Amino acid sequence: MSAVPDTSQWPFKAVLVANRGEIAVRVLRTVQKLGLKGIVVYHAADRGTLAVKMADQAIEITGPTPVASYLDGAQIIAAALASGAGAIHPGYGFLSENKGFCQAVEAAGIRFIGPTPEQIDLMGDKVRARNFVEKAGFPVAPSAIEDDDPATFVERSRKVGAPLLIKPSAGGGGKGMRIVRDLSLLEQEIVRGRSEGARYFGDGRLYCERYIENPRHIEVQVLGDGHGNVVHVFERECSVQRRFQKIVEETPSPALTPELREKICETAAGIARSIGYRNAGTVEFIFGQQGEFYFLEMNTRLQVEHPVTEQITGIDLVLQQLRVAAGEQLGFEQTDVKAQGHAIEFRIYAEDAARGYTPTTGPVLVLHPPQGEGVRWDSGILQGGEVTSAFDPMIAKLIVTGHDRADAIAKGDAALRDTVLLGCKTNTAFLRRLIAHPAFVAGDVHTGFLDANPQIAAEPELAAETLQALLAAAALSTRPMRDVADAVPDMHAAMGGWRN
Amino acid sequence: MQHAFKLGEAEHNNALSRSANAYRLHFGEQVIDVDLKTGADGRAWLTVGERHHEVVIATRGDDVFVHFDGEAYQLRYRHPLDRLAAAAGGSAEDHIRAPMPGSIVSVSVKPGDAVTKGQTLLVMESMKMETTITAPRDGVVAVVTYEKAQTFDRDALLLSLEPNQ
Amino acid sequence: MKRIESKLNTASADFQANAEHNRRLAEAFKEKQDKVRHARPQRDIDRLRQQKKLLVRERLELLLDPGTPFMELSSLAANEAYDGEVPGAACVTGIGIVSGREVVINAGDASVKGGAWYPLTVKKTVRALDIAIENRLPVVHLCDSAGGFLPLQADLFADKYMAGRIFRNQCMLSKMGVQQVSVVLGHCTAGGAYVPGLSDYNVIVRGTGAIFLAGPPLVKAATGEDVSVDELGGCDMHTSVSGTADYPAGSEEEAIAIARDIVAQFKRPQKSLIEWQAPEAPYYDGRELYGILPRDIKAQFDMKEVIARLVDGSRFHEYQPNYGKTLICGYAHLWGYKIGILANNGVLFNDSALKGAHFIELCNQGRVPILFLQNITGFMVGKEYERRGITKDGAKMIMAVSNCEVPKFTVMCHGSFGAGNYGMSGRAFDSRFLFSWPQSQTSVMGAEQAANTLADVKIRQLAKQGKQLSQADIDAIRDPVLGEFKRKQSAWYTTSEIWDDGMLDPVDTRNALGISISAALNTPIGDPRYGVFRM
Repeated sequence: MSAVPDTSQWPFKAVLVANRGEIAVRVLRTVQKLGLKGIVVYHAADRGTLAVKMADQAIEITGPTPVASYLDGAQIIAAALASGAGAIHPGYGFLSENKGFCQAVEAAGIRFIGPTPEQIDLMGDKVRARNFVEKAGFPVAPSAIEDDDPATFVERSRKVGAPLLIKPSAGGGGKGMRIVRDLSLLEQEIVRGRSEGARYFGDGRLYCERYIENPRHIEVQVLGDGHGNVVHVFERECSVQRRFQKIVEETPSPALTPELREKICETAAGIARSIGYRNAGTVEFIFGQQGEFYFLEMNTRLQVEHPVTEQITGIDLVLQQLRVAAGEQLGFEQTDVKAQGHAIEFRIYAEDAARGYTPTTGPVLVLHPPQGEGVRWDSGILQGGEVTSAFDPMIAKLIVTGHDRADAIAKGDAALRDTVLLGCKTNTAFLRRLIAHPAFVAGDVHTGFLDANPQIAAEPELAAETLQALLAAAALSTRPMRDVADAVPDMHAAMGGWRN
Repeated sequence: MQHAFKLGEAEHNNALSRSANAYRLHFGEQVIDVDLKTGADGRAWLTVGERHHEVVIATRGDDVFVHFDGEAYQLRYRHPLDRLAAAAGGSAEDHIRAPMPGSIVSVSVKPGDAVTKGQTLLVMESMKMETTITAPRDGVVAVVTYEKAQTFDRDALLLSLEPNQ
Repeated sequence: MKRIESKLNTASADFQANAEHNRRLAEAFKEKQDKVRHARPQRDIDRLRQQKKLLVRERLELLLDPGTPFMELSSLAANEAYDGEVPGAACVTGIGIVSGREVVINAGDASVKGGAWYPLTVKKTVRALDIAIENRLPVVHLCDSAGGFLPLQADLFADKYMAGRIFRNQCMLSKMGVQQVSVVLGHCTAGGAYVPGLSDYNVIVRGTGAIFLAGPPLVKAATGEDVSVDELGGCDMHTSVSGTADYPAGSEEEAIAIARDIVAQFKRPQKSLIEWQAPEAPYYDGRELYGILPRDIKAQFDMKEVIARLVDGSRFHEYQPNYGKTLICGYAHLWGYKIGILANNGVLFNDSALKGAHFIELCNQGRVPILFLQNITGFMVGKEYERRGITKDGAKMIMAVSNCEVPKFTVMCHGSFGAGNYGMSGRAFDSRFLFSWPQSQTSVMGAEQAANTLADVKIRQLAKQGKQLSQADIDAIRDPVLGEFKRKQSAWYTTSEIWDDGMLDPVDTRNALGISISAALNTPIGDPRYGVFRM
């Protein structure tokens, strides 16, 4: 499964990566391993990055903003055509789930390393995807939409079952949301919800869904070849989130029994199979404390956290994407997919956890990535580079693999400790505090874990000894201070603060 | 203890001196033997009292970045002259006088206005050159002597700030 | 160089008794010093605080490089004068390190009589500036003085070494290219105005600093002009209009920080090259000095034991160990610097005087600074010694000492009587620095001899008038004379009168000498040249 395939018969010899940062580097690594030509497009803001240095060819693209240039499909396709790229890998984000781009790529006679436009379209629409999955017989969270039939809304809501969550249809930001644990109170809560919705949003219509207490986010990696072959590559647990973004992902999930694992993974594979899925994809579930799980959405692209899956299965997911795009069949069965050990990914963000995870910027004056057995560093930044506010603040991913979860946590702590990045504040210290938390160590986390434990993000009080050491290091590195000290003649320095 | 580093919100006064073999950090009432030996790759050995730590240090302007005990910290150096001038609040001139004879092109403030350091107070013209007069410190405008188009002599008081406190 | 083998029995009763005695003296000294430095009426401190002024000691600590030594000069100046009401002579002088440079600091102490200049204030200041001239040390003046103390103006104003000498010395320094910076922290009125006026750089504090020839009241009286302190001589006027001061500062702290930055611009002199090796602490503990010095001024002790507790590794190369043994001569290193040492081990005989003169010549040939350790009752008297020419041999030593080109340093360890004071480079012989230990005594002869001599004269006069004196009458004449003599020969008095550069706790002597030698080497050492030695 991880053997290097013969690419001589492939319809493309060059792959253009329509992305930047660590994922561009990640894709280029496999592209170049296969002996294919790796091409990247880049905005001027990314000129000095690793992806641009690594690529066999780099083509500058422009746009009103750096991000806009990576969203400019026409320009990217033109670059692909000009450079002779036979395939485009979209990475994640940007154009990776853009049906129009996918179509335009294929219309230009270039392979899109991803699913079909139809699959993007279906899974890109949350409501359609949910309905499709529900109809196909897979579990989705019970819900009721008032709009569907206002007359029966209360009845339908009752069927959703307790606890349930009532939200204003027009709402957002948690305003007007009500949790109902006792169905006898349902009607009066709906009345209140309507009036609140009307007051806040000028619209009293409601939506209700099963409320999952302290849910986990568990997702399953799937691979399909578009020829009807679909396998799952086990699950990933991504419950630790801040501001609705994952920051630590691991596999296997500490929440799953072998039976539940089999069930959730087969469910995911079944969903993918039901649409004849092509490409690597991820089926995301919301997972309740009773072991119940519901389809959330499917991401029809390579996932940020794909490396943890690669680490424990030995499967190069990018390589599989390329094979499928080249028209090959998977060539292996579900039973061939085996996992060993435990892997955790830490997203290294340029951000200040103590200040609401606000992004930070600055020069990368020193970068010493962690090293050692079981340590993988996926990053697009280089020493001498700069972290700007032009892009997402994720600057690297640290993936550690151990023989079990405790070993992986220990390796993670050591690797985070060894990660030296100076010039721009990152979240490494925060991540160390996070994985040292007893609940994390016990695997007992949920998507609201960090909100419930704000002390993890808070800057801890500096130990007196640490403060001394920092001041010493800083004083000894500051010329005006060192110069004054050095100017003192030897004898007087040796006498110190003598007074007669 | 005239030197200072800002670490987070806190400012720490300290000083450095040289000892017979290395250095001493003066911090509050404490005097601690310290030393720093830097290797080729930017890694360094920091000695603090009896303890040794491997650290990585980078500087940029007045910022000192230190990777210590598995964490990165940022300290900002404040030179005593900057710090004390700011603390005194008025080392910069409170009375802004004309550096040369000229006339007023425009006045941007009036008495009672709160101004921040560097803010344009007025523009004067002299010897066919326009000069912008900016606030030497944060403060409140006390007096504006001239109006637009009026002329003045060298050393004429153009504007003054309310004294601090 | 081999180590001095100490013959001291530190367990002996005598040593213990000495140690106890001298340690108590040192403590008494430190107590007096502490009082001079810090004991002030609360209202004086409150007044300064109200004016947002720092105390002079606080200013000093801000000025000096942290973790560097400060050698205060004449800390007990005026302590026995003016009824003890002008501690330290209302000023602080010393040698310290500012921005890595050795500088003389001359600081007024406004907590004493508003920093008014008393005669001894002037003397101390002039001496500090003499030190700056002799050793080419830049000067930082911290100006905060009410001006001359008018009731004593006759004793401080006009004579050669009075107040004018301060300004004359400033000009000499300037001519020599030695820089000065004044920090105007209070009023510099009349003469005081010339301190900044004659400095190369001036910093002045807004609000509290002022410079004028006459303050507002005097101006009002003289011309009828009504003017505020700020208008007349404040910070902004002087830094933007008159140009008398250079740098405005918003606070004392800022002013001192600016001054430090100014000193950092001073060029550092090329020091005179003398023999030097890496310093080494003395092998013997310096605190044993307390046990060496006898309780009794007349008791003899071996000065080699003192040397062993001052010099590097207690190593000493003795010159002519068997000749003129009452004067020890030899080489050692102190804080790494090679020095020659002349130390008394008894009365000076012809041979010891000749040995001393010869050794001084050797030191000058070899460019070796000289340390004199005084415990001298004088040159030997009597028919035999006069016949051998003790006077002309003593004259040779005085000639050699006077014309010495290498810097000299003197420590009054114990007794210093008669011409021995001169031969061993007493105050009049321009040692770069001269320090006294607390028990030392300096006078033309011993107190008892002197009192007896004085009493005898009186008794003879009275006898001529036919008066018969009882022993009680004789005692009544003799005792006050003895008491007054003893007071004026004691180190407490000599240091109060600034006949030295300050009293030292013996254990501080090594560092004080190190700082002194280092300072002295800023001045080039001339080629040896002498007058006529009477052969």
